[in-house]
Amino acid sequence: MNKLTSAQLVQGVQDLPSLPAVVMELLSSIEQENIDISVLAKKVSYDQALTAKTLRLANSSSFGLQVKVATIQQAITFLGFQTTRNLITTAAVTGCFPSGLCPGFHDKAFWRHSIATAACARSLARRLRFNQDVAFTAGLLHDIGRLVLVTGHPQAYAEVLAWRAKEDAEWQDAERAVLGVDHVEAGVALAEHWNFSDTMRQAIAWHHAPETPGAGFLAAIVHVANAVVHALDLAGEDDELVPTLSSIAWDAMGLNEEAYLDLFRETEQQLEEMSAILMA
Amino acid sequence: MNGTYQLIPLLDARPGMVLGEVLRDDHGNVLLAQGVVLTEGMLASLGRHGVEVLPILGASPAVPPADPAEVQDRLDRIFRRHERGNHGDWATGILRQYVEDFRLQREIAP
Repeated sequence: MNKLTSAQLVQGVQDLPSLPAVVMELLSSIEQENIDISVLAKKVSYDQALTAKTLRLANSSSFGLQVKVATIQQAITFLGFQTTRNLITTAAVTGCFPSGLCPGFHDKAFWRHSIATAACARSLARRLRFNQDVAFTAGLLHDIGRLVLVTGHPQAYAEVLAWRAKEDAEWQDAERAVLGVDHVEAGVALAEHWNFSDTMRQAIAWHHAPETPGAGFLAAIVHVANAVVHALDLAGEDDELVPTLSSIAWDAMGLNEEAYLDLFRETEQQLEEMSAILMA
Repeated sequence: MNGTYQLIPLLDARPGMVLGEVLRDDHGNVLLAQGVVLTEGMLASLGRHGVEVLPILGASPAVPPADPAEVQDRLDRIFRRHERGNHGDWATGILRQYVEDFRLQREIAP
């Protein structure tokens, strides 16, 4: 197998299916507060499938609404702009990659892992008084580079799967051995292409190495959420493997066992409900 | 909400479970809305309102409790790269202990 060059990686990213324009706008403005909400709500509502999925998410128990929302504008009123934006992004991203391209790659398991990591990161962020919406999106997208590789280079990725199964290795090691690049690099390339904020890009770049100086707290949250979700065995992969947990990231959470047991319960509950909506 | 729910005794309900149906008292007053995520406080308060069973979303008491030995085997498998008692890998060790306590429903010190 010839290794991928960075030019091929960038080309692969550019060939990806694109997100609806309104979602691109949302992603690139994730930390901006001063956006014209009514214009945005209107733009989203032109996309019926996206609107329907977003509203189902908003009405799921994870968000604890006492009333049912029927429009994007209502969702913004009851959940706030940040959370609604988050749900629109989630609904769009989970539906934009083609599935079944690479034999042996389990799209469903990939999304179960991503959705669970998003839910777990959000719950962690709530306990740590960190921005929950940013944590959710970072959790959802932390491994998106794997989809970039699978979608752009399905045959090569099948070799990655075979290598990993043979060596019982971590994904990153298998990807580097076979492709010469890993899903972190591919994720960062996509984050640039999709104009993610710096914070989001950092979290994707450092979620396997949160102790790197300058990695940021979000990377630590995503790192711990990722390990928790592997340890809870939620994706449905036979050869599930718990990665090494960074003691620095773990310490930074500063939570006791009781808090973690609650976190485990919340993550499981939210995964089941959200995956039913997103993978319908 | 269009998920299925099961009636489970209040005593078996745990924080984090989700109500699959609106909950009313004997007079028809709404106590909690459908879709609410239960908390310790709510469970205690429901006991005081005389509620004995709860409609819990996705609960499936028909599934027999997992065999603890099988649960332990599976945990040992997914943590296969981490030796117990490896001090250099203590954070993963703590996570493993917490997940074991969670899956095997061990009592934890408050």
